[in-house]
Amino acid sequence: MLSETAILRIKDQIARYPHRESALMPALDTAQRENGNYLSREAIREVAGLVGVTFSKAYGVATYYSMYNTERVGRYHLCVDTNVPAYLAGAERILAHLCRTLKIRVGETTPDGLFTLSEVEDLGSCGTCPVIQVNDVYYEKMTVAKTDALIASLREGIMPPRKDGSHYGTACSILLKNRGRKNAHTLAVYKRTGGYKALAKALAMQPAELLDMVKHATVRGRGGAGFPAGMKWGFLPKNDPRPVYLICNADEGEPGTFKDRQIMQYDPHLLIEGMAIAAHTIGCRQAFIYIRGEFEWIARILEEAIGEAKTAGLLGQLDIIVHRGKGSYECGEETALIESLEGKRGCPRIKPPFPANVGLYGCPTIVNNVETLSVMPFVVAHGPEAFRAIGTVGNYGPKLFGVSGAVRKPGVYEFPLGTPLETVLAAAGGVVGQLKAVIVGGLSVPILTAEEARGLPLDYDACIKAGTMLGSGGIMVMNEKVSIPSIALRAIEFYAHESCGQCTPCREGSVVVKRLLQGLVAGRGSAADIDTVLSICDTVIGSTLCPTGDAWGMPIRAMVRKFRTEFESLIR
Amino acid sequence: MTNSIEELQDAKVLFVIGSNTTEAHPVISYYMKRAVKRGATLVVSDPRKTDLTRWATLHVQHKVGTDIAYINGLIHEIFKNGWAREDFLRECTENPDVIREGVRDYPVEKASEICGVPVETMRRVARILGEAESTSLCYTLGITEHICGTDNVKTLANLQMVLGNLGKPAAGVNPLRGQNNVQGACDMGALPNVFHNYQPVNNPELSAKIAKAWGVPSLPQKPGYTMPTMLRKALDGGTKILYCVGDNTVQTEPHMAHTIKELEALEFFVVCDIFDNLTTPYADVIFPDTAWGEEDGTFTNSERRVQRVRRALTPPGEARSHWWVMQELGKRLGKDLGFTSANAVWEDMRKSATSCAGITWERIESLGLQWPCPTLEHPGTTFLHRDGRFTRGKGLFSVTKWIPQAEPPDAEYPLVLSTGRRLWHYHSGTQTRNSKGFENIFGEELLEISPADAAALGIRNGDRVRATSRRGSIELTAWVTDRSAPGVVWCAFHFAEVCANVLTIDKFDSVTETAEYKACAIRVEKIGDGQPLGAGISRQARP
Amino acid sequence: MNIILNNQSYEVPDGLTVLEAARRCGVYIPSLCYHPKTGPAGKCRACVVEIEGLRGLQTACTVRVRDGMKVFSNTERVLQAQRLVIDLLLSSGEHDCLSCEQNGVCELQQAAYFLGIERPTFRIERDRADDRSAEFIDRDPARCIACGRCVAGCNSTVVNEVLDFGFRAGETAVIVDDDLPMGASSCVQCGECVQLCPTGALTDKKARGLGRAWELEKVNTTCPYCGVGCQVTLHVDRARNRVVRVTGREVSPNQGMLCVKGRYAYEFPSSDKRLKYPMIKKDGQHVRVSWDEALDYTASRIKTIIDQHGPDTFSAFGSGRITNENNYAIQKFTRAVIGTNNVDHCART
Repeated sequence: MLSETAILRIKDQIARYPHRESALMPALDTAQRENGNYLSREAIREVAGLVGVTFSKAYGVATYYSMYNTERVGRYHLCVDTNVPAYLAGAERILAHLCRTLKIRVGETTPDGLFTLSEVEDLGSCGTCPVIQVNDVYYEKMTVAKTDALIASLREGIMPPRKDGSHYGTACSILLKNRGRKNAHTLAVYKRTGGYKALAKALAMQPAELLDMVKHATVRGRGGAGFPAGMKWGFLPKNDPRPVYLICNADEGEPGTFKDRQIMQYDPHLLIEGMAIAAHTIGCRQAFIYIRGEFEWIARILEEAIGEAKTAGLLGQLDIIVHRGKGSYECGEETALIESLEGKRGCPRIKPPFPANVGLYGCPTIVNNVETLSVMPFVVAHGPEAFRAIGTVGNYGPKLFGVSGAVRKPGVYEFPLGTPLETVLAAAGGVVGQLKAVIVGGLSVPILTAEEARGLPLDYDACIKAGTMLGSGGIMVMNEKVSIPSIALRAIEFYAHESCGQCTPCREGSVVVKRLLQGLVAGRGSAADIDTVLSICDTVIGSTLCPTGDAWGMPIRAMVRKFRTEFESLIR
Repeated sequence: MTNSIEELQDAKVLFVIGSNTTEAHPVISYYMKRAVKRGATLVVSDPRKTDLTRWATLHVQHKVGTDIAYINGLIHEIFKNGWAREDFLRECTENPDVIREGVRDYPVEKASEICGVPVETMRRVARILGEAESTSLCYTLGITEHICGTDNVKTLANLQMVLGNLGKPAAGVNPLRGQNNVQGACDMGALPNVFHNYQPVNNPELSAKIAKAWGVPSLPQKPGYTMPTMLRKALDGGTKILYCVGDNTVQTEPHMAHTIKELEALEFFVVCDIFDNLTTPYADVIFPDTAWGEEDGTFTNSERRVQRVRRALTPPGEARSHWWVMQELGKRLGKDLGFTSANAVWEDMRKSATSCAGITWERIESLGLQWPCPTLEHPGTTFLHRDGRFTRGKGLFSVTKWIPQAEPPDAEYPLVLSTGRRLWHYHSGTQTRNSKGFENIFGEELLEISPADAAALGIRNGDRVRATSRRGSIELTAWVTDRSAPGVVWCAFHFAEVCANVLTIDKFDSVTETAEYKACAIRVEKIGDGQPLGAGISRQARP
Repeated sequence: MNIILNNQSYEVPDGLTVLEAARRCGVYIPSLCYHPKTGPAGKCRACVVEIEGLRGLQTACTVRVRDGMKVFSNTERVLQAQRLVIDLLLSSGEHDCLSCEQNGVCELQQAAYFLGIERPTFRIERDRADDRSAEFIDRDPARCIACGRCVAGCNSTVVNEVLDFGFRAGETAVIVDDDLPMGASSCVQCGECVQLCPTGALTDKKARGLGRAWELEKVNTTCPYCGVGCQVTLHVDRARNRVVRVTGREVSPNQGMLCVKGRYAYEFPSSDKRLKYPMIKKDGQHVRVSWDEALDYTASRIKTIIDQHGPDTFSAFGSGRITNENNYAIQKFTRAVIGTNNVDHCART
């Protein structure tokens, strides 16, 4: 039975959205929080009744997103990220240590009901891993000693405060310009550094003018695909009676990527100002920030900042809802994100129609990445030419690069597009040991050998030329100690876990490849298995409904092809 | 139905009254629910909280038997707000001022007092209907099974004419027929006042035409008796022979004890059926009939679509099609009816038909045709009264006045019993109860009673209760559920051993002689403890 | 318009998808998640083809034909992709055709046959128990290929809103309500999901073991229950003189949809309790007689009574349950032979 408070809260959530079904995920979250972090069948039914969806729909959603606990968990739910960047940072040791300390296996709860230990996928904390998420709080840069201290504190019922601090640097001072400033997340500080002037300027302009400006600046989407934002906005139908929605994709989940949180946590008004500019340009009055649920504290920072901006009358008629994801990589794909925002399972839609025409609630919708929207104030304030002055031809502007793995100072670094890889790695303190391989665009892009990566300009076109993609700019550095087959296995485990499950090659193919790689890494494989993996990857690429098939087909294939001898050496 | 079943999915507004569509016409409910999914507004007016209300924008729980007051109140409000389609009234109806005047006594405030629907709700419904581009109105026996059934229907027709909702798609007045071929039985002239295709028996010209087609010198022109009159006359000797085909009269007519007396008074009673039932014991002769699947022929559905039925099985024993029995009896009584096959019977009908004259078995080999279809070239008719052109010329309003039910509840019999059908069974149960599995799902009749009434009577879910009317009493299990409104209890007539028609009242609509199955006064008392009903029972009434 | 399919030119109407067009042209492209009623889903990826000018493989079920479009469904690249899909589906379930009710009409089997897949390459173990809890519908999740036709049917076609997908990735499964056994759920057993299922994951319980699809004769007829007049196909075992299964015909007025009665209450004609012989009441007992005796007796009783009391003492009930022909026969008999208009039927109940 939900409490009165919870029911009221859920009713508020329902009232907040244009369509009540969108409140399903927040409502389930409310029910879970109210019941010791556990979502019982009864609670799901009650939520379904309140929101007005069927039991099956609510249950289907509750079992789709990994952050809903449909099994009971302990008072402290310890989630250890073991994805590739964390693996490179030794997260496995932390996990094993926790198993020993708590005397439980992964997935179990201590008999006293205090701790549940889970191994989870990328937490967006690649520059500060190993990371343990305890309920809503991230504990980053963990060591065995720090883990012991954490557990001791939790045993006493004290959640230690979250500590900030990762390496960063900026060569452009656009996206990270306020990074070091105290209280940069407040409106006062943001305004002191010239904040919201670009918005004022934009509001004085005609949307068409603004659109031309953004088009001319050629702001390529920073989420991964690199599609020009201005062109995307230009696809919106003209003179259409339907409302237009703007969604900021803050579902940063691509392993190796932890850039958007730097903006949202430290300079939320930059994003909000960017969104307000975009909203004015496309004629949108209801915008959303879809943020991954693990970033709960960042979501709150955003909500506070939006509140401040609203109170200050800066947003005019624009409303921005911060919508939390609940643990699904797939929701980073724009149509899956839209489905999720509609209160559904995060399964991508068939395209066309594209969201610009049929998106959220069947209405014209623009989905842009945090970083993309956050450069808009610069574009407006300084003009498109200033933007084009940064970077290389066709690849303009600043870009955030998240560097993780075998570097001395993993962190986020802002450079112009087209900056050579070496420069970025040098900023990150240089490679620890011998560079063996690097993934430059997040886990879903093909790996490069040290040879291939030499002198690579980090922009969209150069990366394609080099046989990979710039993606989200998540750079994972691997030295000679790293076993590529293990990386391949960890990668496919991730995709097999995150596949939305609707299309066959991805759902079943990822499982088969995972089994084959598990066999190979365990020394049970054969040469034929290597060929089978390659053949499945070959076939899956280009044959799935959304890009996720490519997202694992291409990197796994590249790892096997480029490091085949390493795989063969595992055959006994 | 003036319109077609599949059109319902395109409706913008659906007004469903007195129809438990999800249980009684599930496939029609699918189309209604699809319309809702496409954004249609669904208003369900029913004293019971039927499954369909889950999809309804608005469920209006008016009191049993107050339809005329309720609808007239809506019409009043529609006129008041200028939502009436004046152009339609002017061009397509004969006497619009009559209805304008006729609803004067039913301002929503007064209507609300009678029907128990809050004034605000009535205004909301009126607004939905008034502002809608078009509304499809569907009703079933909740409208007709009252002593004022004819007036109920007229009132609904008035509403739709006032709103101009006739003669166009996804609109209309749509009675959903409860039986597979009740439409066909009417179309084929199994009615006392008309021949096939509604040709009046008292029209000398038509009578002569048909007499000629049938090869008889003349035909009786005085309209015959309706079913209740036939039965009633058994007691005074006016009816001596009853020839009954495919009708479990004892179980399905109201006031069972009285029906039995009438049958016992007959001099000669012939029953043709496929199973022994509550009626066959009274028969002097029983003819074994072919069942569905054992003979060729046609059925006509609610939307006037004539469709083929085919023989797939060999009938058991010596069961025969009824047209053959008619042929044989005709011969023995000196007349060759010319029935050599089912198709020959159809062709015989076609010779003197009007609206079905263009329909041959050949034409409906793979897909049925909707009458009117007067010629072999005619494509059939999906909706009637196109562009407001009524069969009779212009639409005619008849003013209706609300009257209370024949037997209002009182101190001795304080509850209203309403009856109907369940999803899992059909009519007197001979088909569903002789098919596997249905008894496992729903094996005994239950009395649906509201939590409030149950509490007042000390009845818990699953208790044994006795329901008693002035005409008899039955003992059954109570299902305490909010499907029933306070003051109203409900059960079905599917189960011979516990049949609602022991209780129902034999009072009839004066025109159609339809009985008031939907309202009689009863009392309920607990007679024993029972096991609480399992969750499975609520399958039709999901939260 | 004209399309070129596997180098052969075909005329096809406007507005079709490549898959629909290919079907019209008699070219088989494996497809599983598409059903005309539930529309393109683009999920199973079995219908991928190459289309000149478009990058990558395209699902034939989602792309609309354009004039002059060149489509290839038989290149090695296409066949390899199709094979992988079917192979993975075969690998991830227990598709043992021998005992399966769908044998012969299974769309997965047909695709495997077309692509020449003898047995699955992989073995993906999953723990998926049968659900035999419902009265009329059996669920074998191990035969489910997650095509979603049942889910779409339940939610969009009949709008009973009981089925959905639960869980994720390889664990994705069709759930009934909140993952209840079907027999304990709010399912009303309309059977639309069974009709839409391309494999043997959802089958008619009562038909189990009573005959292979190809052994049963199909007879089209009209449902005998309410006034909707749903069009059905009876699947008949002639030798045993019984209906084994009922399916909905995809035509007006029901478009394949049925309710629990229309689909599953079909055994009553074969009941032992049927009335089989004419009977006359003698000394208060019904006694079997010949048709001749019954007819002669009836005719003479009728004659005697109406000769004495007039034809209006005769009344006949037609029925809303019997055919038009029989109702017509009754009214004609009553009016033309007896000479009264006392004919009516149960239109009022």
